[in-house]
Amino acid sequence: MNKLDNLPKKKILSLFMTCGFPSLSQSKKIFQEMLSHKPNIIEFGLPFSDPMADGPIIQESSKIALKSKLSTKHSLNLIKSLKKGSGNTAFVIMCYLNTIQKFGVKKFTNEIKSFVDGIIIVDLPFEEEASIKKILDKNNIHLIKLISPMTNKKRSEKLLKDAKGFVYYISATGITGSNKLDYSEINKNVSLLKKQTKTPVLVGFGIKSRKDALAISNKTKADGIIIGSALIKKYFEKNMNFKKYLSSLNKFIKQVKI
Amino acid sequence: MKKYNEPNILGRFGDYGGMYVSETLMPLLIDLDQSYQKIQKDKKFQKELSDLFKNYVGRPSSLHYAKNLSAYINGPKVYFKRDELNHTGAHKINNCLGQILLAKKMGKTRIIAETGAGQHGVATATVCALFGLPCHIYMGSKDIERQKPNVFRMKLLGANIIPVESGSKSLKDAMNEALRDWIKNVRDTFYIIGSTAGPHPYPKMVRDFQSVIGREAREQFLKVEKKLPDYLIACVGGGSNAMGLFYPFLNDKKVNIIGVEAAGKGPKTDQTAATMTSGTPGILHGSYSYVLQDNDGQIKEAHSISAGLDYPGVGPEHSYLKDIKRAKYYGVTDKEALSAFQLCSKLEGIIPALEPSHALAYLIKAFKNKQKGKTIILNLCGRGDKDLFTAAKAIGFDADE
Ligand SMILES: Cc1ncc(COP(=O)(O)O)c(C=O)c1O
Repeated sequence: MNKLDNLPKKKILSLFMTCGFPSLSQSKKIFQEMLSHKPNIIEFGLPFSDPMADGPIIQESSKIALKSKLSTKHSLNLIKSLKKGSGNTAFVIMCYLNTIQKFGVKKFTNEIKSFVDGIIIVDLPFEEEASIKKILDKNNIHLIKLISPMTNKKRSEKLLKDAKGFVYYISATGITGSNKLDYSEINKNVSLLKKQTKTPVLVGFGIKSRKDALAISNKTKADGIIIGSALIKKYFEKNMNFKKYLSSLNKFIKQVKI
Repeated sequence: MKKYNEPNILGRFGDYGGMYVSETLMPLLIDLDQSYQKIQKDKKFQKELSDLFKNYVGRPSSLHYAKNLSAYINGPKVYFKRDELNHTGAHKINNCLGQILLAKKMGKTRIIAETGAGQHGVATATVCALFGLPCHIYMGSKDIERQKPNVFRMKLLGANIIPVESGSKSLKDAMNEALRDWIKNVRDTFYIIGSTAGPHPYPKMVRDFQSVIGREAREQFLKVEKKLPDYLIACVGGGSNAMGLFYPFLNDKKVNIIGVEAAGKGPKTDQTAATMTSGTPGILHGSYSYVLQDNDGQIKEAHSISAGLDYPGVGPEHSYLKDIKRAKYYGVTDKEALSAFQLCSKLEGIIPALEPSHALAYLIKAFKNKQKGKTIILNLCGRGDKDLFTAAKAIGFDADE
């Protein structure tokens, strides 16, 4: 069974966090805090040295995680250790292709298939995905499709033909954590995607508050939201005081759970 | 053997290359690829470019018989392809002119670029001044420090320089930031990549614009020597000057091709930029090629005295040429490059940039008292003005007032 196949119809909440940030043991506590809110999805970011699609906040979190000599194996073991008691929360890995490539695509898939439902490979576009998708499909791991405002109708039609799990709609051009949200543009684009696929469409990039979460739910046809940078940013806002950070996370997640 | 015909339509040189970018950039790359295919057949475009090459850059660059150096080596006859005589002092301008004409054709109104040594930054700032487009250059703060003359040049030319503080604060990180800028400003911005790296169509497009070097060299050499050279030698950072020289000779199987990478403090140390001697295949900046990486695929920081070669990746076509054994690649240390830099200055009256000094160092090392009667073309792709302070410091000369 793949938990991504049983997502609710509306108000899906997906929370992103960098693995191993700020340290491996603290990272586990963060994910446990996140899990206690029973989000529909948790996205586990595997830190990469050159995250070209990420903004300063996720970059910094990756850098901090890598400084403590975090390996891919450490991250995967961490995710695995959280599986027990994860209830209905689906596990998704978000990473850059080189991490998987270096690990070995087959070996990586074998390693994660017992605890991961989906994977987002930021720098693997449709044109390059065939061989990897085949291996993932065989193991019932959904390769999540990304759609951006630059993707035209014809292209999204092609990309979404066999979309599974959910569709990641990038709310605006730009890197993670940036941007103002333009709800009418988001709605226009999401409405089109909803006609092209039955798979839930989630909006990510730039969602920062309860207000944003409500607006996406009320003003657009999107099925849910993805929050990442805003979760990590709190750590720096709390001057890297871990205890304060955990309690602010708790408060924030309650707010965005609408 | 069949005629060389890489890359395929997906930008693959064998297994290498491709387009590994986020979905926000993908439609742009497809658009760029299609626009590029169009202008290749556009006579007006090609004429405009060749006029600029002739009248603005000063092409063709000369092919100089380096008599004194040849005598010193006591081996093959060495010719320099003198792209250091180009306007702005290096081969980078060839590519920038091609790309800015394309940007104009595509209706783009804002130009961005990354730079390491500052040569590509200067060339981009130059063509932006010429065509009246706003220019934003990403440059690692470490490179800003060691290539000060070029920073000032870019400012004079009207460019906005954005210091990059992330990672190793050099070329790789500048390229990350430029890509992030592009993802943000997809609609109006054209990204002029300075080497045969990055996602398709850049490695092919940059090679094509630079291959004016090899076409000229081939013709010039045939005219004076009535035959083809036995060897081509060029330095390889991302690989554009090298591909520019090599490409028109790839089907000439008798011509031996040698690329020289920067091995920093030594290829076996952690402080190297010799991607193909010390690296393994991986994905960086949108293409699959050799990279310097650890066991987890984290990209390592490169090291070289030459900012233009200080890059942990390499263009995918070089990876392919290495694997099919059409070209051979060797590393040269900072120290070896520095002494070649001084030797060339004294013997030929030409102060080379630190980048081609690596090619010179290999030439001297590998051909001393060997291969008499053979001939070599070495790509002298840049002049040393920008490196005077770095070299003075390394040699121990006080260049301050
Ligand atoms: C003079 C010179 N040569 C070589 C290079 C390396 O680039 P490539 O390998 O693309 O020729 C640079 C880069 O800045 C340069 O300035």
